[in-house]
Amino acid sequence: MAGRRALKAVLIDLSGTLHVEDTAVPGAQDALNRLRQASVAVKFVTNTTKESKRNLLERLHRLNFDLQEKEIFTSLSAARSLLEQEQLRPLLLVEDGALEDFTGVETSEPNAVVVGLAPDHFNYQTLNTAFRMILDGAPLIAIHKARYYRCKDGLALGPGPFVTGLEYAADCQATVVGKPEKAFFTQALSDLGCSPNEAVMIGDDARDDVGGAQNAGMLGILVRTGKYRGGDERKINPPPHLTCDSFPEAVDHILKNLVSK
Amino acid sequence: MADRGWPGCAASLKGVILDMCGVLYDSGEGGGVAIPGSIEAVNKLKASDLQLRFCTNETQASREKFVAKLQKLGFDILVSEVFSPAPAAVAVLRERGLRPHLLVYDGLLPEFDSVDKTNPNCVVIGDAAEQFTYQNLNNAFRVLTGLEKPVLFSLGQGKYYKETDGLKLDVGPYMKALEYACDLKAEVVGKPSPTFFQSVLNDMGLQPHEALMIGDDLVNDVGGAQHCGMKGIQVRTGKYRPSDERHSTVTADSTVDNLAQAVDTILNQRL
Repeated sequence: MAGRRALKAVLIDLSGTLHVEDTAVPGAQDALNRLRQASVAVKFVTNTTKESKRNLLERLHRLNFDLQEKEIFTSLSAARSLLEQEQLRPLLLVEDGALEDFTGVETSEPNAVVVGLAPDHFNYQTLNTAFRMILDGAPLIAIHKARYYRCKDGLALGPGPFVTGLEYAADCQATVVGKPEKAFFTQALSDLGCSPNEAVMIGDDARDDVGGAQNAGMLGILVRTGKYRGGDERKINPPPHLTCDSFPEAVDHILKNLVSK
Repeated sequence: MADRGWPGCAASLKGVILDMCGVLYDSGEGGGVAIPGSIEAVNKLKASDLQLRFCTNETQASREKFVAKLQKLGFDILVSEVFSPAPAAVAVLRERGLRPHLLVYDGLLPEFDSVDKTNPNCVVIGDAAEQFTYQNLNNAFRVLTGLEKPVLFSLGQGKYYKETDGLKLDVGPYMKALEYACDLKAEVVGKPSPTFFQSVLNDMGLQPHEALMIGDDLVNDVGGAQHCGMKGIQVRTGKYRPSDERHSTVTADSTVDNLAQAVDTILNQRL
């Protein structure tokens, strides 16, 4: 394909792609091992905001996936960088499990609002507090704007709807740090020494994983697991480079067609 | 006849429509507090030859209950003079054969007593305040995503309102949240829907240019009324903020301190 260099890196979404809650996608562990045998760098990128990197790692190890903490890049990491850059003190609407990734960040007398996936904080009282702060000038930072995610008993609202509601209420625009922002993908690739057109992203979210990655210059592979719903591949333009059943099939495609032998 | 701006236009007016919360009173603990001068302003309007109606997006209580609350504060006001979204929504549901899943404040439920709520095929949200829990919103979201043709009615679309202890989120942000989550557009029942304003004008038997709306919400009261051909006056009470006077799309025909000042100005034009 003209203009595209050989594949150097694969970015892999976690929730919905390698596993759904505490169940691994069948064949995913082996597929990951096969991918590692090819000469490509691998990074695990996730918008999951409920859990710290350590929690994610523990769960993936429990499910027999072979990976290290430094290979994980989350939207929480991206949020923390922004807070430090801008010297902001956040009101963290983030689940307890994720607070660990903000250790050391000053939170007294907050002057910014950070919204992640935090059902416990999406109550009327807390949202009113956040709203009043934003109206007074506090920046609104969204870890990501996912519309919903899949959990054990069905679909559940993500942070996106609540961020949208606050944007409307306070007439402002949130700074989004997670997928599908271009900056997220380029930041994830930055320490792998490769550019977007030498990388491919595998994920279950057409807009946030595949659309975002392709918009950053990468190839995108959409898998039909996790939150995928029939017809999702038609919701982005250009369409995914490939839509396949699950992670193992995506790896097969990469090994057969994208890596130099 | 040339269209005169404020206050000259008041001379040829035939009717006045008043918003309630933020114009007549501020809601809050203990039923709320009347805004100084508003009780007398209403009395003066009633004593004049102008027709008077009240138009509110109040959806925490049934009309009977909040009119009773206002009468207790000293206001001369009748249920038949009040237009609110819930009865309008009930009419729409009936017209279209829809059965709602309700995400509304408990106090509003009586307005929907006569409505079939089994096997819901649409969602209705109102100003549910503390009942906007994650769980309740999620349930509404699941109803919508389970429908082949999801329909969401929002009773108003206000961003926030003022209570005695500060500004609070109104139904609008939650409507936007569900719109975003489900990738759909809600149908707004209540201000600023033109159908809603028209129903008030019809009741008064007036043409839009013969009526004037007074409210604290620049977009939904004033903008909504102007969109229908009425004049719209904003008061500096309630949810008013100074930045309203520099709004990018809506310019009130006038901004006055409060209802008392608006009414005195109107009646002075008619002496």
